[in-house]
Amino acid sequence: MVVHPTLLIVLPLVGAFSVSLIRRYGGGAIKLYGSAYLFLNLIISAVLFMEVRSGGEVTERIAGYSPPVGIFLAVGAVNAVLVLLINLFAAFNYLTFNPKDKEPFHRFTVLYLLGVASSSGIVLTGDLFNMFVFFEIAAVSSYALVASSKDERSVGSAIKYMILGSVGSTFMLISIALIYSELRTLNLYDIAHRIGEMGGAVRTAAFTFLIVGIGVEAEIFPFNGWVPGVYGRSDGNISSFLVLGPSKAAIYAILRVLITLFYGSSSRAVMMDIAMVLGLITLVVGEVAALSEKDPKRMLAFSSIGQMGLILIAISLGSAAGIVAAVFLMVSHASVKSALFLSSDVYRQGGMRYTLTGALSVGAVLGLVGMPPFAGFWGKWYLLSGAADEGLWIVIAAVIFTTAVEAYYLARFLSRGLSMKKRGGVKPTRVITMTVMVGVSLLVGLFASVIYEMVSAGVTTLLSGGI
Amino acid sequence: MEITPFLILSAGLISIGLYGIMSKKNLLKLLISLDIMDVGVNLLIVTVGYLPGGTAPIMDGDYGKYVDPLPQALVLTAIVIGVSVLALGMILTIRHYRRTGSLEMDEGGVFGW
Repeated sequence: MVVHPTLLIVLPLVGAFSVSLIRRYGGGAIKLYGSAYLFLNLIISAVLFMEVRSGGEVTERIAGYSPPVGIFLAVGAVNAVLVLLINLFAAFNYLTFNPKDKEPFHRFTVLYLLGVASSSGIVLTGDLFNMFVFFEIAAVSSYALVASSKDERSVGSAIKYMILGSVGSTFMLISIALIYSELRTLNLYDIAHRIGEMGGAVRTAAFTFLIVGIGVEAEIFPFNGWVPGVYGRSDGNISSFLVLGPSKAAIYAILRVLITLFYGSSSRAVMMDIAMVLGLITLVVGEVAALSEKDPKRMLAFSSIGQMGLILIAISLGSAAGIVAAVFLMVSHASVKSALFLSSDVYRQGGMRYTLTGALSVGAVLGLVGMPPFAGFWGKWYLLSGAADEGLWIVIAAVIFTTAVEAYYLARFLSRGLSMKKRGGVKPTRVITMTVMVGVSLLVGLFASVIYEMVSAGVTTLLSGGI
Repeated sequence: MEITPFLILSAGLISIGLYGIMSKKNLLKLLISLDIMDVGVNLLIVTVGYLPGGTAPIMDGDYGKYVDPLPQALVLTAIVIGVSVLALGMILTIRHYRRTGSLEMDEGGVFGW
């Protein structure tokens, strides 16, 4: 073990709780201080990624207690990709915030760093209650970040988000209590192998509560009432953080629940089917709602719901192709949808006309629809081939139909944005961040074999109840 | 089973809270419902670890039969989280009230778009 995965959680926490010490040096110094922690995290997650790629899984015990008694962090192929993704984009996304807009900036930095630490925590942890605690930290910092937006109405949306999110986490807690009452363990892998000992009714209840609880955060229909308001009224760079951080962590948590936690359950096939139906509904409802939406930010929000449905479908295939597809779709969504949210702030100012932002938005739209050299193409490709293997023609039909819908409304979004009269400029940091995001989507698409080989090597152990 | 009444009580509290969240639009009532639901779940967790006739978990020969300490640790964490979410909810409600002059939720109900 070259690096300790724990550092990915600890460092941003240290940064968050020490940032007020330097607040008298002004916004610039605070931004430098916050970025230092975030880029350090980026380096650590990159090293961790290389380590998992060459040597397989990495685990770390917390405080020396061995599992199942102690909490441990389990990094396999899928979450190594995801934790690198979250830390990479979170670090660059932080650069787009202007300290003058977010007074007092040190408090804003605390929230942002807590959001990053907890998103990494959700992805890395191997313990159910630990996951719940990180969920809460991610949720609370998200509510506050949303409420810090320029648009005053965002407070109303944050309240709605908070109420739905709290109901979700209460449901998660009920599920944890049910699982603990039967199995007396909270370790994900321990539960996975002993879930057969649980009574059928309790197990079904635990599954339902857990999917509903995480589904709120993962934007799964019908628990996603907060999404359009929050994304529609938040600043573009806060929306992009929510897309690349907490929501990606939440959909990964659903993967952990479906693939790992209920691994040994006799009714797993039914659970997968339920998840697939939820995914299909989320996909179709989200995309169709996006089609009829005029406001660009709300349109991107509905589109985001549709994409999350697509990822849920890929996960609920439960096959190697499905997991690979889910990873590519997560990379694609976190990168290009975040880039589009960043461009949405300058949309009305004509900031997309004859600018690099406009060119990048075109790239992001192509990536989102799933055009060849981008990561989204491979996501949809493996999803379709995985669905074809199992003869799920309804999935194939739904994916092709929604891709057409998506192409239509995104083309409308672009053509309007590119023809708006130019009234203002774009901050260079925003252009750099968008370049990184679209560039990552393009590079992952061009060198898809790197991710493909790594994930498909790790997927065998994942599908047999391992890390 | 001695724990059955507690399970019923906790299910009742969770249902009352959930009903409040689904039927009310007033933000203060929503926050109160949320808190009632929280209390119900906390009761459920404590009940799960309860052993009829059990004592505090002390490592000593006189205390052979003790309750499971882990749910109590969990419930402490859950209470702290509940309180902080509630505090944040109150702050947001105050800001919302100052801006709109109303305690109603602004964009439809809790579950609508």
